[in-house]
Amino acid sequence: MSGEATGAMLSTPVYAPEVSILASGRRLLVVQDAGVEEAARLHGQLSADGQAVELIALRGEAPWAGGQRGCGSTDLLEVRLLTLLSSAPVGTRLYVCGDETFAWRIYRLARNSGLLAEEIELVKAGSQRELYCVHCATMQTIGRETETTCCHCGVQLLVREHFSRRLGAYMGVCINPDQPYAENKA
Amino acid sequence: MNGLLDVRVAAVRQLTPLVREFTLEAEHGALPGFSAGSHVVVHMPAPGRTLRNAYSLLGDPAEAQRYRIAVRLQEDSRGGSRFMHEQVNEGDRLQLSPPANLFGLHSEARHHLLIAGGIGITPFLAQIAELERRGASFALHYACRGGLTDAYRGELAGRLGARFAAYDASAGERLDLAALLRSQPLATHVYVCGPQRLIDGVRSVAASLGWPQGRVHWEAFAAAAPGEPFVAELAASGRRLEVPADLSLLEALEQADVAVPSLCRGGVCGQCATRYSSGAVEHRDSFLAEAERAWQLMPCVSRGCAGSTLVLDL
Ligand code: FES
Repeated sequence: MSGEATGAMLSTPVYAPEVSILASGRRLLVVQDAGVEEAARLHGQLSADGQAVELIALRGEAPWAGGQRGCGSTDLLEVRLLTLLSSAPVGTRLYVCGDETFAWRIYRLARNSGLLAEEIELVKAGSQRELYCVHCATMQTIGRETETTCCHCGVQLLVREHFSRRLGAYMGVCINPDQPYAENKA
Repeated sequence: MNGLLDVRVAAVRQLTPLVREFTLEAEHGALPGFSAGSHVVVHMPAPGRTLRNAYSLLGDPAEAQRYRIAVRLQEDSRGGSRFMHEQVNEGDRLQLSPPANLFGLHSEARHHLLIAGGIGITPFLAQIAELERRGASFALHYACRGGLTDAYRGELAGRLGARFAAYDASAGERLDLAALLRSQPLATHVYVCGPQRLIDGVRSVAASLGWPQGRVHWEAFAAAAPGEPFVAELAASGRRLEVPADLSLLEALEQADVAVPSLCRGGVCGQCATRYSSGAVEHRDSFLAEAERAWQLMPCVSRGCAGSTLVLDL
């Protein structure tokens, strides 16, 4: 799964180009959008040796998995995943495909239900990610931009490459130390 | 050496022809508390030398006023277990190193699968007391030989009911590791203590079924196996120590008052790592990486090759 980058900031997640696949054990695949190419490719890799892959999708349709459709809501997806995890034996691997917001949310859920980091593989698809404002502790969803404004406290934020696995978010810090608060709050 | 605990043998019970249990009390003051899975090193004043063996504390950690250990008589032993069986009686005095824990329970585990072989049952006796107190989910599987190495079996069967299974090799019963490890719920951690064969078996079966290493915990129970005599030379002083076949290098160093830190005395914890500059080494530890072995050894289990001279950076 995600190793640590060398060169980039240490906490920036790096996603392995290829997932590792065990010869035995159950394979659970959680995808954010069954319609994207990454999901189809991952499913192809996981089922290449003829073994069953249990799929849960949030949205989209998976022609490569008998036309299975997304369940439509994150709550429902999480309940389904927890049900699968509660009946799965040690040796199961969880594969997650989606943007960073989605992937790390599922990652945290799986870790909280007892999986180890080595039992989870993340494949990134899409560019949406979470930003945590270190000044007012608000989360917001962003794309690839490296600067933005906090949606809550209005501070101009620099998106640092520091990623918190606990929060599943990048850290946003004030760009201009001379102007730590937005004018409308001053 | 300082920091040792002075204890008195308060009771001795022969549990099977091969297993003896000792209850130890502080000579003065109170014994330090310990966590489940801890061991102590017992210092035995054998004629001409001090033997040191590590034994798990098997009592309930909540009742630390007394320590209990159980010792299996090892036929090929270098004398430690024989000394405990033949020389130690009620009222005798012994010295212990304070408890250390290299085999603690994993707090993230939702289910604890405990696998014991023979005398390897001992750390689990403390752990089940702890697990019961926490209301944690667990199961204990005990591979043993009826009437010889099945100490506490009856007691455990009564206390744990369906959470306990014994496999008596003398009745032809076998513990099927593959079947057991294939069907454990996610978030299980497995703990194994017993003969090296059992530990190796659990580790390899678990790996082949996709258990990550972080879910597999083990404690080797072997005291250093005897070897061939060799000579250890201390680089700093030029002193030469003859290490006889039935003494570990660590014991020989301790006898010569050369201080080397140690904890597990079984080649797993890494405490006793010692550099050497020349000599042929028989590495027997499970701690050092291959590359490190070119210049380091673990004297608690590893030794110089027969008849050779090993030069230590001490
Ligand atoms: S004392 Fe633990 S490895 Fe030697």
